[in-house]
Amino acid sequence: MSGMETVRIIVEAEKEAAKTLEGAQAKASEIRKRLDSMLEAKREELLRTAKNEASMIMKRAEAEGEAEAQEFERNAKSAIQQVITRASAQKGSAVGKLVALIMGSEQ
Amino acid sequence: MFETRKFTEDILAVTKEKAQSIIAEAENETEKALQEAKARFSREAEDVIRNAKAEAEGVKRRQMSEARHKVKLQEQLEKDQILSDVLQQTRRKISEISDDDGKYFPFLVSCITNAVRELGLGEVVVQISAKDLKRVDKTRLEREILKKLGKHAKIEWSKDPAEALGGAIVSSTDGRIRIVSTLDQKFEALESKLLTEAGRQLFGSNP
Repeated sequence: MSGMETVRIIVEAEKEAAKTLEGAQAKASEIRKRLDSMLEAKREELLRTAKNEASMIMKRAEAEGEAEAQEFERNAKSAIQQVITRASAQKGSAVGKLVALIMGSEQ
Repeated sequence: MFETRKFTEDILAVTKEKAQSIIAEAENETEKALQEAKARFSREAEDVIRNAKAEAEGVKRRQMSEARHKVKLQEQLEKDQILSDVLQQTRRKISEISDDDGKYFPFLVSCITNAVRELGLGEVVVQISAKDLKRVDKTRLEREILKKLGKHAKIEWSKDPAEALGGAIVSSTDGRIRIVSTLDQKFEALESKLLTEAGRQLFGSNP
């Protein structure tokens, strides 16, 4: 092999090496470029899941709150009804006491 | 020849290694950034859920508070209705009593006596209702008043009737001082006390 041939082979090898490095740089650059969209996609995915769960929590709370409120109203109304029924039965006696208060104010 | 091939192979091997290292570095950087971002996004997502839970508690509290308010309002309306009925019935009962001479006459005597005593005058003008003007024996009434008063006073019976269910309006002869002691006035003056008393009677300590 002549000296010229040796130099040509080495130059070819260096060209190939430079091309390989260039390819690696391009791929690395591509990987870094993909990061932003990957991050955005990941964020959207996590937030979408969280928002869905939040929506479920709200729906469940509204349904539970409504049910609890209705039960409270039912119980409270029943208690009020008892108070009102008892008070209605005592109206006559109360009227008697008020009349006595008015008429007795001059004794 | 062999040495040249070995030399170029070495160049290519080192280059390949370097290329893999460049890609690996980019992948590692990306992976690290992704993991850090995931932790950040997870915290963001947890915030969304935590806020939703707090809001959900608020919703439940609001619904319960509205229910309590609604029930309280209804309770108050029903109680007010009963108290209003009691006051109406009391007024009606008093009107009935004003027709019952046995109960009403002593009241009228006390009513006028107390007013005369309060005025502290020797001569007064007394106005009674049109109904009383017609049916009450004024001679008997005056006799009972003076007896109860325990001293002499001159009573002039006004022909102008008092607009009232019963009771009387007692004035000085010049009309400058007068004491209104009608059933209507008493009812009005005592209304707040009557409501409190009725509330206590009917609903105990929580009217």
